[in-house]
Amino acid sequence: MREPNAIDFWRGLALVTIFINHIPGNTFERYTYSQYGISDAAELFVFLAGWSIGIATRGRDGRPEPRLKTVLRLLSRTIEVYRAQITIMTLALAIIAGTALVLDNPLLLEWHNAGGFFADPIQTVVGFALLTHQLGFFNILPLYVVLIGIAPVFVLVARASRVAALGLSFGLYVASLVFEWNLPSWPGEGDWFFDPLCWQLLLVLGFVGEDLTRRSLRLRAWLRRLVPLGIAIVATGVILAVYDIRPDPVLAPEPRLFFTFDKTYLTPARLIHFLGVLLAFQTLYAVLAPRLGPVTGYLASLGRNSLAVFSIGSLLSLVGQLIRFRTGGGVFVDVSVVGSGLIALGFTAWFVEWRSRKPRPSLPQA
Amino acid sequence: MALPQAAAFLAASLTLAVSGAAALAEPPAAPSGPSGPATVVSPPKTISSGPEALDVSLSPECRVPGSKLYSLARLGAVKLALKEKRAVRVLTIGGSSAGLGAATTYPVKLETALERSLPDVDVVVESRGMQGEIASGAAERLRNLVAEVEPDLVIWQVGTHDALARVDADVFATALAETVQWIKGHEIDVVLVNPVYTASLAADEYYNSLVRKVQDVAAREGVPLVQRYEAMRYLSGLGQKGEGHLLGSQFRLNELGLRCMAEHVTRAITLSLLQTEPGAPAPVIVPPRDAAVKAASPPPSIFVRPGD
Repeated sequence: MREPNAIDFWRGLALVTIFINHIPGNTFERYTYSQYGISDAAELFVFLAGWSIGIATRGRDGRPEPRLKTVLRLLSRTIEVYRAQITIMTLALAIIAGTALVLDNPLLLEWHNAGGFFADPIQTVVGFALLTHQLGFFNILPLYVVLIGIAPVFVLVARASRVAALGLSFGLYVASLVFEWNLPSWPGEGDWFFDPLCWQLLLVLGFVGEDLTRRSLRLRAWLRRLVPLGIAIVATGVILAVYDIRPDPVLAPEPRLFFTFDKTYLTPARLIHFLGVLLAFQTLYAVLAPRLGPVTGYLASLGRNSLAVFSIGSLLSLVGQLIRFRTGGGVFVDVSVVGSGLIALGFTAWFVEWRSRKPRPSLPQA
Repeated sequence: MALPQAAAFLAASLTLAVSGAAALAEPPAAPSGPSGPATVVSPPKTISSGPEALDVSLSPECRVPGSKLYSLARLGAVKLALKEKRAVRVLTIGGSSAGLGAATTYPVKLETALERSLPDVDVVVESRGMQGEIASGAAERLRNLVAEVEPDLVIWQVGTHDALARVDADVFATALAETVQWIKGHEIDVVLVNPVYTASLAADEYYNSLVRKVQDVAAREGVPLVQRYEAMRYLSGLGQKGEGHLLGSQFRLNELGLRCMAEHVTRAITLSLLQTEPGAPAPVIVPPRDAAVKAASPPPSIFVRPGD
């Protein structure tokens, strides 16, 4: 178990933010940083995933591990994430259907895109396995599966040339914005909620960023001088978010996606805002960590076990939504739901680490 | 025979007579010369049968009095598309329209029903599921969808997600009104569809207030409303006696509601197209093509009644 560090800490914060924001309407929602900017926790989560790939595919001495090992490592992670997505989707659908039955309330079947599954299970179960049928709030892991699935290409290209990897990634991003490329939803119409062809840029930026900042002291010093720029961008974001100032997508000139604020396509405004957030808060961890006491350890433990914590968090926020709906919400319910959820997330992280520490029982003799 | 059934049967037999009369009354010189066929929509075929007037142009199991089913308003953008003789682009948004790919599902049914009601008009239905609440991110997402699809008409099933999140009813109404104004501001028509009726929520004050808010916004902004809630409440009164003890007894009603939604929405749209500005010529009215066929058989109840 590694000591708390900035990456795990921020990833833990992103996980807590996602958990709270996925219980829409709750009292604490307005206190998450997603309400005060153009980008939100999703950007942070994907960027840090790229950063972690940079760390994971290199030895302690900074030398890259053998190529085949990297490819297999990423493949294994892809399978793990896919398995997690299938598991939580199954449980989510069962929770929705079960609650609808018990409360005799078919309204619940229309829960954020779940209706398709219940109305047309034959096609939808295929889309479910292909990840082309996604429930609302359960659409981050499909993005992850694709991103980690294609990550070996970028990682290996970056070993030859970081510029080439960035160029490839940026080119794909720009082309996807211009031509509105996205993966299709199926069955039904429309596209993925998170467009992997655009969001891959953040993963690659995280991965290359880790590599560059580790190598170059000068780059780090230079980035530090940009803190004021970051703060200016963040301040602009706060103003735009609080006053709800956004471009009208119908009036935007072509190529439209260059000018709109669209989460699906990680449009430039979101990207710039997120880079501003990075610049502004790059040194904050060193300031916060000693002052937050056990909170630092708590958030870092969530970040270390992000897949398990994210998966449990997704299900808990669904349960939280249903509890709020059933009880009518209110501050007391929100405190109980969010409070017990945060404890459960902490327990999940602890439990995963306990399980991996525990010596495995020897296999029974056949 | 139960009273509603008897009433519906009476209504059905009357339709035969009325549609025959309407066919005779049809003007022989309908403006369908070189300028092409005119907009053809059918009138509200309601027959007084007792206190409630059923709209018998609907499929038997979907028949609901018009007063419970819709409120009408002008649809300028769709009319313009009809006048310019181009395809009418429709964007449907809402929970159950997502992920339905089978041939019998809502978007497909809607397209078929609209094309049947508006002969010689090509209707293109794009359907999108949407996550999130109007009061927070969904309004923004809807704007992006509208920019992407560029429809003439948005059919919006609204309120379910906000109800599930228990969004404050006034906050919801404000956000909804703003979004409706925005859509209309871009010369795109909107038809609102309010959330479902289900017995376990019948006494839920909050839920009812949210349903009413959709109604208020539709009235205030002058857009047609399909009262899915009222229609399903009406249908639920027709026949589910003795089923209360079954697990999920409300689910059959819900299924019926889904099945009828395309027809109900189409009805509200075609009738809204009849709403004219003062002085403008009214579109030609013909009886629904299949009214006679439908009326030939008495409307069966889809609900199985124990001991019936």
